[in-house]
Amino acid sequence: MDSLRDYMYTMESCNHCGQCRFILGPKMRGWAYAEVCPIYQRYKYDAYSGQGLLNIAQELLEGTLQYEEGLLKHIYTCTTCGACDINCKSVRDMEVLDTILALRAKCVEDGQGPMPEHKGYARLVEKTHNIYGQPHDQRFAWLSDHVSLSQDTKIAYFVGCTTSYRYPDIARNTIKILDAGGMRLTVLGSDEYCCGAPLWRTGQREAARKLVEHNLDVFKKKGIKTLITSCAECYGTFKGFYPRTAELDFEVLHITQIIQAMLKESKLSFGNTLNMKATYHDPCLLGRLSELYVPWNGEIKAYGYHDPPKQWRRGTNGAYHAPREVLRAIPGIELVEMTRNEENAFCCGGGGGVPAAFPDFALWTATERLNEAGSTGAEAIISSCPFCRSNFETAIGSGSKTIQYHDLTELVIQAL
Amino acid sequence: MSLSEHVYRMLEDIVGQGNISDRPHILAAYRHTSPQGGRKSISPEAVVLPGSTEEIQAIVRVCNRYNIRYTAIVSLFGLGWLVSQQGTIIISLRRMNRILEINEEDGYTVIEPAVRHVQLKPEVMKRGLSYPVPSVGPSCSVMANFLGKGEHHIQHSYSKNNRYLLGYEWVTPTGEVIRVGSLANDAGWFCPDGPGPSLGGLIQRGNGIFTKAAIALDAWKGPSVMPTEGHSPTYKVRLPPDCHKVYIFKFPNLDKVRDFMIEMGKAEIGVGVLKFFYATAAVMFTVSANDFWDLWNSGLFQKELPKAVWVYLATWTPEEMEYEERVMWDIVREFDGEEVDEQVRKKWEDNMDFFIIVSFLQRVLKLGGGWAPIIHTESLHHTFEIAKTIPEFFDKLIEKELLLNAPHNFQVIPIEYGHGAHIELLFFYDRTSSEGHTIPMEVMQKSMETDIKHAHYSPMPASGELYSNYQVWAAKIKEALEPKV
Repeated sequence: MDSLRDYMYTMESCNHCGQCRFILGPKMRGWAYAEVCPIYQRYKYDAYSGQGLLNIAQELLEGTLQYEEGLLKHIYTCTTCGACDINCKSVRDMEVLDTILALRAKCVEDGQGPMPEHKGYARLVEKTHNIYGQPHDQRFAWLSDHVSLSQDTKIAYFVGCTTSYRYPDIARNTIKILDAGGMRLTVLGSDEYCCGAPLWRTGQREAARKLVEHNLDVFKKKGIKTLITSCAECYGTFKGFYPRTAELDFEVLHITQIIQAMLKESKLSFGNTLNMKATYHDPCLLGRLSELYVPWNGEIKAYGYHDPPKQWRRGTNGAYHAPREVLRAIPGIELVEMTRNEENAFCCGGGGGVPAAFPDFALWTATERLNEAGSTGAEAIISSCPFCRSNFETAIGSGSKTIQYHDLTELVIQAL
Repeated sequence: MSLSEHVYRMLEDIVGQGNISDRPHILAAYRHTSPQGGRKSISPEAVVLPGSTEEIQAIVRVCNRYNIRYTAIVSLFGLGWLVSQQGTIIISLRRMNRILEINEEDGYTVIEPAVRHVQLKPEVMKRGLSYPVPSVGPSCSVMANFLGKGEHHIQHSYSKNNRYLLGYEWVTPTGEVIRVGSLANDAGWFCPDGPGPSLGGLIQRGNGIFTKAAIALDAWKGPSVMPTEGHSPTYKVRLPPDCHKVYIFKFPNLDKVRDFMIEMGKAEIGVGVLKFFYATAAVMFTVSANDFWDLWNSGLFQKELPKAVWVYLATWTPEEMEYEERVMWDIVREFDGEEVDEQVRKKWEDNMDFFIIVSFLQRVLKLGGGWAPIIHTESLHHTFEIAKTIPEFFDKLIEKELLLNAPHNFQVIPIEYGHGAHIELLFFYDRTSSEGHTIPMEVMQKSMETDIKHAHYSPMPASGELYSNYQVWAAKIKEALEPKV
């Protein structure tokens, strides 16, 4: 596993250009919604940014900065949304987000991190295999007898903790959609453990690694060749974290990508009209952070040459088109775009363990995003991630927002 | 020296809790210089985030009263903000980021210091207006670039940024608020100077803090929204081809490059005419360092671009475009120019944001790079005289393998159709090498020595006597404006 020291080149390369904070030039649309970093927008200090976190990481590593009051909170306020990372990588060969994640791992290794609320994740996962501490035997309580699963398929639906325990309607919808498209699949049942995302992104990598090993072992034993998720966090974790432990010998697909393919192949079609002006929110781990991680253990030579060449994750090939194509195919939906979209999408505030440790900031971030959605004239914001749903619905419920939230699978079911 | 609790509380009373910090981890963001900076910044004692002119006034007065140094910042790009002495506080103007007015009729906008190009440029484009964005990248401060004479790719027709500065509001180092130009007489923002001598020279020497400024706007010949396709980092930004075209011509020698530029200026055609850095172009138009080496090792840019001129034509109508192209081709033929390889030109056609906001400017530093002194001249002839002396010091550094082998990596941009010009040398070095930290300083020093030797450049103490000892006056003015520091 990588260590903070592996990112010294990144830390020493920053020249404070500010690209980690603002929308990219080609995507500029106006004064409003030009900032892409939630912590920088909310807390204003330059230390609250990709650049600032690199500076802090370097000083902690070199011993010129000591753990002090407020530092841990500062490091853990970041939603790890990766907007800084992708924007930086539009112009530089730097790994900003991986440095931030390695910084969190260092905090844990040093016995300082994570935040107390995050320590509970590891305890609960150890005991119940989910971050909510719910009984493991209830993980598939949503599954009704009417659902037909296949036992001899190599395609599995990985449901995830939040969908299983908080939003089982997404799971039911996903199964219905796949069934309607004629896909034969299975679920992992009691063998499915948390994907590890909340532990990975709070620096608890050892605990996360155990989950990775368990899940990979299950996939191998069951001969899984295609893993389907309806959760962006699970999707991004399989593609971004699991390859740090072992080479993936299966493909990972998000439900939006499968629906897109089924529409193209005429396996699905929409018969119902949903009259709605809507905007789509790109979840960070389905969008800019969803490219496959390819381990690189080379050397950075003169003039920054990476030997052997490194396969960068610059957010170019995120799952931006699939959800949009699906929504455009639904009769009656008028899809409008927010200024900060696709690789420049503003985080919902639900990532990086922020809702648990800093619920006020998570709420502020979601509200900012809902305001942006509202500015398009949309009456609904649609996404494909139960974490985004949780944070948006909390914000909608706590304020005077009239905008509605819908998971994409819900609309697909309505339109079928 | 650290701030006393008493002073800290005074500052906190001014800006409010949450807008001041002296925590070491918050200040870490101000202790790191750029990799090419060559020196480490000293930690400030605190950072304060004022939200208004009045708060800045009050902060400055406290600083004067207690002999505290301060430096005002917005984006942190560049090295001018670096804290160099103990006992300094950072005044971050980040909260003052409003566009106060866009006056479409009179063609100006009034902004606060922390408005960035990526915010202002699209707002004025929506209204059919524009202004030149310097080569700094989209997230830098608009106001800083206009106060600081920002350089840009289209100053052949648009002139330099400081020409666009109109009325402005200034908190002097003693805490007074001065409104300059037409603003001083409640006559609006339209003019930078009132009756009497201009204060332009004073303010551009970095005294005090600027809190509001008006920037002149021009008509914009392009679409109201950037026509962007694709995803980072391989965006395509193509402007409508009937009224926006890019050409790149190569010439047999630098004299013909110069003469081509002069004639283009006389004809008053082209929005952008420039000799661009060819190695820098290779860095800017490749995503990673490895991609750069693939392109560089192909030899394409070295073959096509060392003596080339980029021309960006933008017109209101296709007929006007046809006229400009006809005139341009006459001039090209007169000086034996020919178009470069099509694949080179296509890179600029696909990324016309190069002429609008220079979206990917920051790629320039990905290899490790720096700038030798930038010199402004009275004529293109003078500029190319300077260019001829670059090999005197540059080739030796290349021979020693301290720099990338790119001897013609300088740019020349005519200003105001060739009535002035700008030359700038950019060099690339391996910042991770053992000599890496000393190379930028060595290049800059050798460049300056060569310019002084040939009388291309004259530092203030050397030339002051020839011009009424202006260096003495400059020192006295600074002393008068900053009595305590």
